[in-house]
Amino acid sequence: MRKWQVRIAACFLIAALFVPLLVPTDYTLQILFRVFLFAALGLAWNLVGGYAGQLSLGHAAYFGVGAYGLALFSQLGISPWASVLLGVVLAIICAAMIGRVSFRLRGPYFALCTIAFAEVLRLVAKNLPSVTGGDVGVQVPLLFTQSTIRSFYWSGVLLTALAFALSAWIERSRFGYYLMAIREDQDTALSVGVNAARCKLWALLISAAITALGGALYASMFLFIVPDQVLAMDISTEIAIVAMLGGAGTLLGPLLGSVVLESAAEIFKNVFKEAHLLIYGVLIVLVVLFMPEGIVGTFEKKLGLYKKAPSAPFAAPLPSTTEEESQRIAVDE
Amino acid sequence: MFNWLYAPLQAILNGLLTGALYALIGMGMALIFGVMRIVNFAHGAFLMMGMYATYVLFQATGVSPYYQFPFAGVLLFFVGYATYMGLLRRIRGQVDFMVILLTMGLALILADGAQLVFGADYHQINIPLLSKNISIGSEMSINAPWLVSFAIAMVLACALYWVVTRTMFGRAARAIAQNPYAAPLMGINVHRVQAIAFGIGSAAAGIAGALLLPVFYLFPEVGNQFKLKSFVMVVLGGMGSIQGAAIAGLVLGVVESLTSLYWGNEWALAVDFVLFILVLSLKPSGIFGSQRA
Amino acid sequence: MSLLEVKRVSKRFGGLKAINDVSFSVKPGEVTFIVGPNGAGKTTLFNLITSVFHADSGTIHFDGRDISQLTPNGAAEIGIGRTFQLVKPLRNLTVLENVMLGAFLRTSSPAKAEKEAAKVLRFLQMEKVLHLPARGMGLPTLKRLEIARALATQPKVILLDEVVAGLTTSEAMRLAMLLKRLPEWGISTIGGIEHVMQVVMRVADRVIVLDHGNLIAEGVPQDVVHRPEVIEAYLGSKYKEIAS
Repeated sequence: MRKWQVRIAACFLIAALFVPLLVPTDYTLQILFRVFLFAALGLAWNLVGGYAGQLSLGHAAYFGVGAYGLALFSQLGISPWASVLLGVVLAIICAAMIGRVSFRLRGPYFALCTIAFAEVLRLVAKNLPSVTGGDVGVQVPLLFTQSTIRSFYWSGVLLTALAFALSAWIERSRFGYYLMAIREDQDTALSVGVNAARCKLWALLISAAITALGGALYASMFLFIVPDQVLAMDISTEIAIVAMLGGAGTLLGPLLGSVVLESAAEIFKNVFKEAHLLIYGVLIVLVVLFMPEGIVGTFEKKLGLYKKAPSAPFAAPLPSTTEEESQRIAVDE
Repeated sequence: MFNWLYAPLQAILNGLLTGALYALIGMGMALIFGVMRIVNFAHGAFLMMGMYATYVLFQATGVSPYYQFPFAGVLLFFVGYATYMGLLRRIRGQVDFMVILLTMGLALILADGAQLVFGADYHQINIPLLSKNISIGSEMSINAPWLVSFAIAMVLACALYWVVTRTMFGRAARAIAQNPYAAPLMGINVHRVQAIAFGIGSAAAGIAGALLLPVFYLFPEVGNQFKLKSFVMVVLGGMGSIQGAAIAGLVLGVVESLTSLYWGNEWALAVDFVLFILVLSLKPSGIFGSQRA
Repeated sequence: MSLLEVKRVSKRFGGLKAINDVSFSVKPGEVTFIVGPNGAGKTTLFNLITSVFHADSGTIHFDGRDISQLTPNGAAEIGIGRTFQLVKPLRNLTVLENVMLGAFLRTSSPAKAEKEAAKVLRFLQMEKVLHLPARGMGLPTLKRLEIARALATQPKVILLDEVVAGLTTSEAMRLAMLLKRLPEWGISTIGGIEHVMQVVMRVADRVIVLDHGNLIAEGVPQDVVHRPEVIEAYLGSKYKEIAS
């Protein structure tokens, strides 16, 4: 089950490398870059949201930190790629802080907290023009000076490959098991010695690092960023939906989800022009109502496969009947 | 002369007036969250709907929002009721995140729909009341529309509190909030009560939109900031506590106002979130404890 | 030298004193049962021992160490295993994978964890259901799954909360016979059972009786069961005379 997912992805990614040789227009390559970028972002989110079941709606924070890291560190004279690295480090630090606070919360409180952190970052970026350029924005250095669009495209594919490889490795390791146990029932996981707090944090750190890399690439391609672009909740939502649409907690899910969603979005923009967000909203509603496990998840469910890939990652938890459980309204002790 | 005193006092006063409106929005959200643990990401969109509905009615009839706001309330009640019955009820068994996504999708549909119908431009209305100011002493004043909306909001808040504590519906809603598994066993038609609660909560948002119209710009995305603020209020006020959310609304209004005074408008929303994070980290059950609606 | 030592432990929740000044100890290799009517505080006591929450006063020592301030996963790491009254299988995994989770505490290799889990499941006579999903299993199997998962963590002591509740008497007796063999594996056993006294009588070396958070009797099963306080706790004061 898992093996063929890995094989499909590997073939797909290798084939993807050859695409620039076939595709004539830069415009198409740009769209394809976006597809792979969001595939990588979705895979990164999947570590925290899919496997660990911690549904973050604030991943734009790491995306934006990566973007702004590249922009601002290079202003200090640091080389672009070193700035990217610094941005990733900064994102990891942010993730550590955000995780420490957020992971103690359960249910909707966790999601709201992640939103809050991302929004704070966005507002800080908006309101400190002397540092970040504020709403006016800031320039971003070009990471690739030759064959620019192709290089961005290939970097997108590589990032996706990296994220995929990491996910595949984690999925069959003890770490992956622990994450899934935390998702299914954190108290049970604790009772068998799983350090839930530490596992969730590590998942988030890895996720944040990849997301920040994506943010830096994205920023560099646009050469100019503003807070409402790279730190917006729209980005957080898009990442989460890409993973969910494809199937959170599965390997191929985010990849497939990005292909479907980003292509659909592009088509909507061209066909519906004015109403493309509305169609997007309708799509979300339909997925939630009829395909909550996502494409790959539903497919696996139909095939009666239950293995490590969850068939119902978002099944409702059992009612809490013990005194202590109902007392823990929002927080873990 | 005593500007260092009067400026903050004026800010606090303004904050209370704004806060009352926030309180109305927050109470609606708290009711929904308290009874159903639903985080309604369409709450802001409902406010926006109420605002546009009032705008249309005003353009057509010239009746002041302060008289016609009940229509927005009734409209949004039915919208909320239908949303619950038609959409949310189908995913009740699933985890919170699904509800968040569903209501997010709905919000997108409503916002983009509004843009299609009304365009992305900013609208505003003009009523004579807008230019009236009521002086307090020689140093402070209140802009009349805010006083009116304050009064209406306070009355509605009390009415909501009365409904939740004194009526059969309120009792049923509180029963469901306390134990969603036992409630149906007591003969409570859970779905209907929840739909009504959702309707009432949405109506509160719609009415707040109506009251907001005279003093705020109208545009499709206007609901976003209020949605986020209502999350803050629900958390600050304590899980699903209507009274808590109301007080949190007033607190929020004052805090924002003082922040604007000393640091500038742009930091007001940021302070909301910082407060939110602080409460979640230090006292997740809310400033006002874990009371229930 | 006792393995687990609970000294003067108290815990209150708001106005309710769930555990009141309870002290007892468990020696290695012993099978001890905590019995008592509903609400006596058995699960609370377990939660205190496994650090789900912490006592208001008193100390708990395990293997000589003070464990009053641990975390639940910390408790598992030092050798306290536990099952839950309401079984909590990881429904989307197989029986084997569920137990592997426990085994992972002592090894990071999935292959080794699988072997260890299979071994434990064989001990519990569950070879037939190894690769079936946990979601389809019946209660007796799930109860054994709970135990298997805890056993896979190689605990020194295992706390079984209402482990035979919901089983028929014959299923309960079968399980009890298995449990009696746990000390062979170096595991002391503590179990909390409310009314299946036949199991307690057959399996326990010692019995501790709780009532409303207080320890009201302690000793060998045959002896404790006849004590007037115990009968009164279960049946009410009218029946105290039955004892004598």
